Amino acid sequence: MLSEGYSSLDTEMAVIVREPFAATWLQHEDRTPLVRLAANTNYWDKDRGPHLSEVVFRNDLEYEDALELVCSTEGEVDIVTMVPPEAAKKVENSEHAKLVAHDGIYSVAGIINRDTEGLPPLSDKRARKAMNLAIDRGRIVREAMFGHASPLAGLTPDSALPEENPLSPYAHDPDEAARLWNEAGGENTRPIRIAAFEENGRVARAVARDLEASLGVDTEVVVHPADAELRVRRRLAEKKLPHEWDVFIFGHGAQSADGVALELHRAFVGKTGELRAGAVLPEFEALMGELFSKTDPTEQAEVSARIDRFVHDEALALFLAAPQSLYAVNDHVDFTPYRVTFELADTRMGEEHWSLR
Amino acid sequence: MSERPTGTVNVVDPSPLNWLCITYNTVEELIRTDKDGNNEPAAMSDFRWLDDKTLEVDVREGNVFPDGEELTAETVRRAFDEVQKWTSPHPPGTQFNLHPDTKLEVVDDHTARFHLPETDGLAVGKLRAMHLMNTRFWEGPSFGYERQGSGEGHW
Repeated sequence: MLSEGYSSLDTEMAVIVREPFAATWLQHEDRTPLVRLAANTNYWDKDRGPHLSEVVFRNDLEYEDALELVCSTEGEVDIVTMVPPEAAKKVENSEHAKLVAHDGIYSVAGIINRDTEGLPPLSDKRARKAMNLAIDRGRIVREAMFGHASPLAGLTPDSALPEENPLSPYAHDPDEAARLWNEAGGENTRPIRIAAFEENGRVARAVARDLEASLGVDTEVVVHPADAELRVRRRLAEKKLPHEWDVFIFGHGAQSADGVALELHRAFVGKTGELRAGAVLPEFEALMGELFSKTDPTEQAEVSARIDRFVHDEALALFLAAPQSLYAVNDHVDFTPYRVTFELADTRMGEEHWSLR
Repeated sequence: MSERPTGTVNVVDPSPLNWLCITYNTVEELIRTDKDGNNEPAAMSDFRWLDDKTLEVDVREGNVFPDGEELTAETVRRAFDEVQKWTSPHPPGTQFNLHPDTKLEVVDDHTARFHLPETDGLAVGKLRAMHLMNTRFWEGPSFGYERQGSGEGHW
């Protein structure tokens, strides 16, 4: 239970469509320096926990300092979330921490601006497929994500599927990419404009390199700084101004493996999608309508698979990779990662932990 | 290892979803996700579709808030009434809304039925966003009521 402090939001609404009404919220975080959680010994699920007496969220530390502390000291920081992949080796080689890597349900993909002008129409499936065939996903995973990711076939990461993914990632086929691109009218076009937020800047530059190499076009990469993020997100969601990019490299997750289409596919492609950049697609909306009509989980899973296949086959995004969630965890903390949330009820500690000495 | 909770863990979590993390670690909903991200009953012990528009939930018995108040079907009703006041209560967006014309029936202390005007098979998963709170919370801070004078975007 919450015993001290808070982690709250100030929010501004961004309206996506008015009929049916759909909106998202642009969020400003508001946290106290410390947020303390105390064990609720009345919690009904005794098998699950809690096992910890107290959890303290330290919002009084800069991230770089926190990472250094968890690696090199005890007693200050026990868990650091969102370890960037380039820092994974530092954690693995550290004195007091271990790297916990886990497959979340989170996809990094390119939003394709199907309304853009001056290129082969990106409303043309051939152009979108060309872009997907131009990408060397294996190299992006290895080099831009330091190996801590898996290539995406559609928008659903493999971690959200109970069985082997029936879809395969687009092959890296530069010759076929160039053929399709030119067939769609791609010769002698202006540069492809690629945008991203800072967290995906490296991936955006890798995508640019692949598009240049495979399609023979120039690219321009814009990485938006953190203080521009809300403005950019509003423009994405409200769709009132033309976009200034052709592909936006974007990371988006789902809060449940059972609701991936509601959060990922709807967001990228759907009428109510805060990330959609292009016309509403009746066939996609029909599939989503079918999903909502199913109350049986097996039938929902079948329709969800068809939605992912449709998005894949129509190349309605630039499919890149599903990054792992990386945590730096004190060696005496037994942390159980969850795919979609950061839960601590299951977390235990060894007798050597500094707080038990 | 000791059976009673012990020790202190210090966490640094820069995630923009930290507000949701704190919520999920301190509050319960009818449904939660397991380690693999699959929905599983939490404050409810079971559920069933009576027909394609009627979702019945069994509220788990013996579930008690830290202040001793029991979590019952009335708790669910209160949370439902509060969340349905708002056009867009959930920060991620309206995709987690139940239809505005949904009605909740309290059948008995531990049974509640959601009567949906149209089929919404994803309604079960959407219950993840309907946090079950005690009376003291509703009479105190609530979700944005006290600070912002509105629950829009604060669930």
